[in-house]
Amino acid sequence: MPINSKLIKIASVLALLCSTTAHAELNVFACEPEYAALAQSLAPDAKVYSATTAMQDPHLVQARPSLIAKMRQADLVVCAGADLEIGWLPMLQMKASNNKVRSTDTGLFYAAEHTKTLDQIDNVDRSMGDVHAKGNPHLHFDPVKLLEVAKGLSAKFIQLDPSNTAAYETAFARFNEQWQAKIPVWQAQAKSLQGKKVIAYHSSFRYLFQWTGIEQVADLEPKPGLAPTSSHLATLLARAEKGDIMAIIVASYQDERGAKWLGDRANLPVLTLPMSVGGNEQSTDLISLYDNVLVLLNGVQ
Amino acid sequence: MSILKTPLSLVAIGCAFAPITVLAEDSSLTNPNISAVLDGYYQSGDRPMSERAEGFGLGETELAISANIDDMFYGKMTAVLASHDGETEVELEEAFIQTMGLPEGLSVRAGRFLSDVGYLNNQHLHTDSFADRPAAYRAFLGGHYFDDGLRVSIVAPTDIYWNLGFEAFKGDKMRAADEHGERDFSNIGVYSAFTKFGGDIGVDSSWQLGLAYLRNENGKLLGEEEDEHVDDEHDHGGHAHSAKYTGENTYIADFVYKWAPNGNYKYQHLTLSGEYFRVTDIFAMEEHDEHEHEAFSNNDYHQGWYVSSVYQFSPNWSAGLRYGQVDSYEAHGDHLDPQKLKETEFSVAWHHSHFSTVRLQYTNQQGTNFDGFENDNIITLQYVMTLGAHGAHQF
Repeated sequence: MPINSKLIKIASVLALLCSTTAHAELNVFACEPEYAALAQSLAPDAKVYSATTAMQDPHLVQARPSLIAKMRQADLVVCAGADLEIGWLPMLQMKASNNKVRSTDTGLFYAAEHTKTLDQIDNVDRSMGDVHAKGNPHLHFDPVKLLEVAKGLSAKFIQLDPSNTAAYETAFARFNEQWQAKIPVWQAQAKSLQGKKVIAYHSSFRYLFQWTGIEQVADLEPKPGLAPTSSHLATLLARAEKGDIMAIIVASYQDERGAKWLGDRANLPVLTLPMSVGGNEQSTDLISLYDNVLVLLNGVQ
Repeated sequence: MSILKTPLSLVAIGCAFAPITVLAEDSSLTNPNISAVLDGYYQSGDRPMSERAEGFGLGETELAISANIDDMFYGKMTAVLASHDGETEVELEEAFIQTMGLPEGLSVRAGRFLSDVGYLNNQHLHTDSFADRPAAYRAFLGGHYFDDGLRVSIVAPTDIYWNLGFEAFKGDKMRAADEHGERDFSNIGVYSAFTKFGGDIGVDSSWQLGLAYLRNENGKLLGEEEDEHVDDEHDHGGHAHSAKYTGENTYIADFVYKWAPNGNYKYQHLTLSGEYFRVTDIFAMEEHDEHEHEAFSNNDYHQGWYVSSVYQFSPNWSAGLRYGQVDSYEAHGDHLDPQKLKETEFSVAWHHSHFSTVRLQYTNQQGTNFDGFENDNIITLQYVMTLGAHGAHQF
């Protein structure tokens, strides 16, 4: 039966193809560079792609062809969640037609679902600006929360690729050990920042300020998502003239012009902090990102 | 009265869903998104083939509901309310389901939806940077071509984005004029095949190229010797989404290039785009008596193109420049008369937030042989605003 033997050959080739792809490295699509860095630490063999850089506002990303192509090939999509990517992720999911990364039961991971976010709101009204009902999504600047996320992400890797469980467990143990060792060091560095007052852009550093004890007394944005206006800056200048502000803080993807205008007039230092890994030369991974941010903050005191 | 009842019931459906969204933990993926678009304008003149008339008016007021139906299907409905001459018309612009769980990058869309040919066609009008679609769209696709049909498309697992799709549509809106209503039209009138490629150039720039072919079984206009004049069957000012100039074969090529400093779209970005249309096999003579239905065709074709450049120089301001033209033919009995339309347009838009836009647009139009047309300068002042849980935008 030549036909049957042909079929068997085809089937065995197919089986071989399938089994080789199953053992191939995982393709990870990260929405933001902090989650690309985290995924790489927890799955050193994975092929990790970051959809954005620390110079790009993750609220406003184009659902561009290259991202569709990357998501099409992904085994796992890792994002901050809490609606941070609501303006582009659903479009990518639809266009990429990749059924592996559509549900958090399988290859989709939202960091915000693995810890408790700050500032959750029951009723969202657009007059409040572009706010997130599910809380502030910029949660990677709280070391304790990030460790909770790491735990969840490691479990996700094991769920998707159980044959390499031991490797993922080893990688998590290493990350956990390094991170736990760093937390008291960072806390010591943050001690002198406690109670300091700053004016910042958006609520980008909400979590950083929360655990360092810095108080953000005003926002350069009149409402979340709206660019600084001159009338709003004038009220900030009046606030700054009270003389209790340490610095004006913007993230690496934010426009410095409003901050500089205010800084010049109020005689305050303007500090651009890396929003994520790659936000400046020193921030090459999550640990150096935290190190660098604390050095920069301590430098303006 | 049925005209009035329908929009009200649509609003009622919207309201019925609304409380669910507010209470929902995840309104984005598991519960309906409800959104509305408000569009109003004042215009100092008429553009040919446009739905916007001189004076005060409303554009397309849109109500959309979309959601994942289950883990396999996504569904969307978009109703458009348009008022013309004191009458409110409701039209379903989209009512489709799409598969979300097929393997190998495959997806199937069925129902009424926007065709994926060209660059602008699958985008909603309210995301445009100009008050009207380019003249080529108004001439050959009725502004934007949506229809009842089926689409199958596939995304290749490659680092360069590559998408391939096929569509079949009823095609009523794309039918050639049929003065006597005697013509035997095909039920499945329109087939299309399209492909798109795209990628990034460094971190600053992204691009996409598209090619499409559209076969219109009912697109060839059949002229008759005895007629003195084939009437323009499209009543001006009506809410006609029909293509004004058709042919059997349409070829479309499109490109878009976007640039933002560091790839950060929040503050500044540039969009360059352009499309070219060529519509062939547009006309045949039917000679009833001597040679039985021997149709003689000619080699004339319609064509149109535009290039557009839009720059957002701050989160609150953007400006755009667009030039486009259409070269088409109007049938008069047994012969075709050439027509030409050229549009040069400049628009400035103020965006108070991501959801509200006020636009001022200037159009210089020049043409020959368009019915009732005169060279003109037109000013349009327009607002476009979105309410509710608004879906993500396409590239």
